[in-house]
Amino acid sequence: MSTVGERSGSVSPVGTFPLQLDIDSDTLASCVACGMCLPHCPTYRVTGEESASPRGRIALMRDVAERGEADDAFVEFMDACIQCLGCETACPAGVHYGHMMEATREALATQTRYQPRVRRLAYRALGMPRLLGLGSRLLGLSQRLGLMRLVALVGRARPFRQLAAMTASLPRVPVRQSPLTASGDDVWLFTGCVMDAWMRDTHRAVQSVIEAAGAGVALPPAGASCCGSLHLHAGLASDTRRLARKVMAALPGEAPILIDSAGCGATMKEYGHLLGTDEARRFAARVQDVHEWLAARVDDLPPDASDADSSTPLQVAVQDPCHLRHVQQAHLPVRTVLSRYFEVVELDDEGLCCGAGGAYSQQHPEVAGAVRERKVAAIERTGASVVASANPGCTLHLRAVGLDVRHPLEIVAEHLPAREA
Amino acid sequence: MASETDDAADAALLADLRGVLGDRARDNDFERGLYSRDGSIEGSPPAIVCLPTSAEEVAEIVRICRQHRRPFLARGSGTGLAGGAVPVGRPVVVATSKMDRIVEIDTANRIAWVEPGVLNLDLSRALAPKGFHFAPDPSSQQVCSIGGNIANNSGGPHCLAYGVTTAHISALEVVLPSGETTVFGGVDAEPPGFDLRGLFVGSEGTMGIATKAAVRLTPNAPAVRTLLLDFDDVSEGSAAVSAIIAAGLVPSALEMMDQRAIEIVEAFAHAGYPTGAAAVLLVELDGLPGGVNAGVEIVREVAQRHHVGHVRVAADDAERALLWKGRKNAFGAVARIKPDYYLHDTVVPRSRLTEVLEKVYRIADAYGLIAVNVFHAGDGNLHPILAFDRREPGVDERVKAAGRDIVAASIEAGGVLSGEHGIGLEKRDYMGMLFSAHDMYTQDVVRETFDPDGLANPLKIIPTGSRCSDSFHQHVPEGAWV
Repeated sequence: MSTVGERSGSVSPVGTFPLQLDIDSDTLASCVACGMCLPHCPTYRVTGEESASPRGRIALMRDVAERGEADDAFVEFMDACIQCLGCETACPAGVHYGHMMEATREALATQTRYQPRVRRLAYRALGMPRLLGLGSRLLGLSQRLGLMRLVALVGRARPFRQLAAMTASLPRVPVRQSPLTASGDDVWLFTGCVMDAWMRDTHRAVQSVIEAAGAGVALPPAGASCCGSLHLHAGLASDTRRLARKVMAALPGEAPILIDSAGCGATMKEYGHLLGTDEARRFAARVQDVHEWLAARVDDLPPDASDADSSTPLQVAVQDPCHLRHVQQAHLPVRTVLSRYFEVVELDDEGLCCGAGGAYSQQHPEVAGAVRERKVAAIERTGASVVASANPGCTLHLRAVGLDVRHPLEIVAEHLPAREA
Repeated sequence: MASETDDAADAALLADLRGVLGDRARDNDFERGLYSRDGSIEGSPPAIVCLPTSAEEVAEIVRICRQHRRPFLARGSGTGLAGGAVPVGRPVVVATSKMDRIVEIDTANRIAWVEPGVLNLDLSRALAPKGFHFAPDPSSQQVCSIGGNIANNSGGPHCLAYGVTTAHISALEVVLPSGETTVFGGVDAEPPGFDLRGLFVGSEGTMGIATKAAVRLTPNAPAVRTLLLDFDDVSEGSAAVSAIIAAGLVPSALEMMDQRAIEIVEAFAHAGYPTGAAAVLLVELDGLPGGVNAGVEIVREVAQRHHVGHVRVAADDAERALLWKGRKNAFGAVARIKPDYYLHDTVVPRSRLTEVLEKVYRIADAYGLIAVNVFHAGDGNLHPILAFDRREPGVDERVKAAGRDIVAASIEAGGVLSGEHGIGLEKRDYMGMLFSAHDMYTQDVVRETFDPDGLANPLKIIPTGSRCSDSFHQHVPEGAWV
């Protein structure tokens, strides 16, 4: 633990700036500082520092809210939160930490230069599917040709360096993907932004499992491209609201909206809270994690068609994405679906975050790496060779250290009867 | 406010500490604020926060503090409830949270060497695959550290049968206030000489800082049964507690919750606690299956004599875990009624439980506060919680006064000041209620033997002035809140 949490420079205040936190005093007072959240906070776990704990961050928010000013140290402490919300699950007092952190990030993003321009542009690109698709293909090509290193060497200007740094730790992305084909209108399958650009085969597998349960799948038009989750975490809530309206317009009707990315599902279930309209609340009520929908129909799924020996079922370790377990509380249905085919193996870390956190692992690689080490150790203790994770961010973050991590329904799809082409 | 001289002294101290710790010595306002309090009400900021990663660094910090004649105090997870880790007099806080390695697990000798920052429940989890656990289990066990358990000689529900922390610490590596490192106790059955280990456990950081501990491993019981008994009447519940013990049983845990506690706990845990009952008892029996099953029948029969409503026996581990989840999160869950709470800790004879509980309710009423009771009934260890909102004007004084009255009522009934939270700042000025001037003088002499300069967590436990026995009510520094 010793190396994490050491900062390169001094955090002694170099200057304060005004900051208005729009969090009411009852909410700020709702934390009694009992500390029960500390062991469930990944950043506290790897640093052992109060400033990296939920209890500490709330105390700092209270301080800033009272004084109406903050400094760089405060920004650093707030930015270090992964927003996994493991603390909310653990909190005996039911403190709404997530909303407090979102409000703080929004205040920082609107009142300070918290999100640099290049990052804002990158977030904005997530809502532009053509640009994202083109960018992804270029990225995939340049990864194969080693071009990003060239950009870093040649492009001295700050944006180039930032771009090179941002892309350096990304996984290898595909250059070409074949399109998905709709099969009916019983349910929508939301395909999202980065996941569709980089991991479309996961959607393909998920679609096949939904169809195997007897439903026809509708696919959103290009307009419903990004749920706005990463923007919300970055404090760019107005971008999230704008994207939410586009998503809602693109997925009309009454059909359930199924999500195979825990992060997207968590945000789309929050549209009611975010937009505050009846329409948004009705929309949010239609949103389900795909496992929630499947768990209610698990008996409709065909039996295992693989030639695996049924007396020794495959052991699958379940890694719960925080947005499924702590935010949506929808982690049990994953087990319902998986256990129809496999022996589900639990990790012994009470759902502690893996460190991915959307864009967090790109922005805080050192802390994210230390958090991941704990997760990897927990996975290794299970002895299982396959890991199921229902969130693209976690999947990529864990694959980066060589683990065989797949979406739960990708593993299921391999055990379904072959379909006619 | 700190004067300019103070600032210069702090800067020189910081420079020396940075020489050892680098950026792990902090003096920014935010972090000093975060380490200004523990799980109790309020405190005052330290001068500097140190985050060492090794015993050598702790020894260096202590030596530097001595050179600068600056007080220091150790801090674990900051969940203590008696202000033991609250800085007084601009000290250096030595946070042991980064020292969290389990160094060695030796099942043959039933010992594990651990660093002080290891969390209590993490230790038991690490031992589980080998069939052992660390027996003391404070309600905060998921977050409290072994170092903090040692400082406070912590208890927990299961200490009724297994004994409190001191019974589970075999040896201690300690940095003395002189800066020297030594080992108290040993892993042999009977280490020679005085039991300095026993003296250190519970000394709340006034005799040095533990940097490593050999803890005893307790084998996991082959059978465990957990019962939930509900009563329409608190006095029947209290009487059942005494009757269970009188029937010859020593349950591994025997806990009581009153009606308000049941309601808030159920709202958090959804464990099926009967929200209409006046009181519940949570009884746990462990041992060999035959003995445990016989015990269940004895408890059932005793409870029925005391007009129990329902006897619920947890069907499996999941149900047991759910019941305990409620009990162990009760304090934090009080925030569902009021944003602040003040949790007391006194011990009374089991036979006087009903009477003292009634007094607690009357005292809380008199001061316009809400009292919630969740406690270790089996050993008479009361934990009245006073729920309040610090934003109400004048409420601090009422909470303090009510607390003092509760302590007085407990002592009047033949009880003692503290069961397991320690004395810290909270109970320091009440020591005179229980101890004579001579008693306190003697304790202070022992303490001075370890810390002649008074730098190790000063102004805690023993009221200053004990040496001349003139006053037990000295001035508490500005900003500190006992």
